[in-house]
Amino acid sequence: MKGFGINLWRYLKLYGLLLGAQLRSQMSYRSSFFLDLLSTAFITLIEFGTLAVVFERFNNIKGWTLGEVAFLYGLVEISFSLMDMVFSGFDPPFFGQGIRKGSFDLLRLRPLPLILQIFASDFPLRRLGRLALGIGIFALALNLNPIEWTLAKILYLPWVILGMVCFFGGLFIIGAAFTFWTVEGLEALNIFTYGGSFLISYPMHIYPDWLRFSFSYIVPAIFLNYYPALYFLNKEDPFNLPAFAPFLAPWVGLGVLVVALKIWAWGLRHYHSTGS
Amino acid sequence: MRLFFEIARRSFQRALTYRAATLAGMVTNLFFGVIRASVLIALYGEADSVNGLSLQGAVTYAALSQAIIAYLNIFGWFGLMMNVHSGDVAQDLLKPMSFYRFWLAQDFGRAWANLLLRSLSIMLIYSLFWSLAYPQSLEQWFYMLISLLLSWWLNFSWQFLVNLTAFWVPNARGIGRFAFFLSMALSGLYMPIRLFPEWLQKICYFSPFPHILNSPLEIYLGVVQGQESLVLIAMQAIWIVLLIILIHVILRLGLRRLVILGG
Repeated sequence: MKGFGINLWRYLKLYGLLLGAQLRSQMSYRSSFFLDLLSTAFITLIEFGTLAVVFERFNNIKGWTLGEVAFLYGLVEISFSLMDMVFSGFDPPFFGQGIRKGSFDLLRLRPLPLILQIFASDFPLRRLGRLALGIGIFALALNLNPIEWTLAKILYLPWVILGMVCFFGGLFIIGAAFTFWTVEGLEALNIFTYGGSFLISYPMHIYPDWLRFSFSYIVPAIFLNYYPALYFLNKEDPFNLPAFAPFLAPWVGLGVLVVALKIWAWGLRHYHSTGS
Repeated sequence: MRLFFEIARRSFQRALTYRAATLAGMVTNLFFGVIRASVLIALYGEADSVNGLSLQGAVTYAALSQAIIAYLNIFGWFGLMMNVHSGDVAQDLLKPMSFYRFWLAQDFGRAWANLLLRSLSIMLIYSLFWSLAYPQSLEQWFYMLISLLLSWWLNFSWQFLVNLTAFWVPNARGIGRFAFFLSMALSGLYMPIRLFPEWLQKICYFSPFPHILNSPLEIYLGVVQGQESLVLIAMQAIWIVLLIILIHVILRLGLRRLVILGG
């Protein structure tokens, strides 16, 4: 057990070192970096902005106000941009490139844990722009509809974010594992990552039943954001699920991540290099 | 003109070869269309019509805008930029054809392949699940087709113009992403322009971007009719001419700076 602790510490330090090199290389093109930073923030701003301005005509979306939608939207933006920085090495198009070029095989030769090296292989700092905007949208939400904060709510909030980070990170890992077989990334998986994050940015009761069912019981994304939001905003559950439903978020996220790591390990056992 | 269509024919065939990618892209378009339509339906609530756009019209708008994403290539195009970086642009310049027309011909083929294959399939699938709106007269169909053709031309010219920055800036991809995102948002891809507040609609119409997507869709839906359709089509044409003039001026300046390294 003691040995494990020392190893973990060593690995964290190594991760820090590798990451530092990553970040220094990104900062070497300073103006290009800041432009990227601005444009990622701008993209989020416009996307949310177009929704916000049409609220002038409609006032609510099936009973939810702009502030309440902003709560959902902000949380997803915060979580997804955090995930996108940490798990970027597994982003299937990026990871698949390593498989095609054979640089993945290089990583396997090094005397370091493979997963650690992939985590350290990419960390796009420009996503900070999107994170900042996500925080801004979340702040707007709190401003428009003040939440009755309790200790439980304050303690639970980070776990909701963690749940989403693990969930989407897990999807990235599954997508990366698929490239062991397909070499090219599986584009259809975008529906769950980019499509899924877009889907849960709106209240789930606006969708047709088949869509909501699929994202409740096949891919349980409804518990990541919508149910926690019902709890934070003291809203009634239109689907009458058990009272613990809002608290499933971290479990769903961790569950998906564990399954993803299993698929990853399985894929790795079956992996043959592309030989380039 | 024969050369133009010959190039277009080849790029048409090339676009038809990537079947798996086409299918995956179609599924994505269908999925996002369902979400956008759901959002619009939920926003409408009890209302039948908002600022001249009916609920059925809004749903059709969501479907159509997703269907023509691939036709327009509205998310962005970096082909010319990449060729400037790699130096391949030297070969493009040697072609016995104007630089702009050469790329235009290629994109023409790509666009039609996507329109016939992807856009039509997407609309067919949507029409199985939703009751969509259709143009009510032959005249409306005709105006819509003209407008759709011009919207491709307008969008391509805008993207070509953005690509020209590569002659000045070594890594122009960030600028490109930024510019394409702006045009996408103001084109009405996220929300029908008509649902924006008046002040924002005015700002949008100071730019050419609503004419990339919103205009052909409004003609299709019959939100604008007859004379008004012609005005929109004329606006599209004027913007295309302006952009082409701008392209040629900037291209001339850019080519003067261009140094190709042998190798």
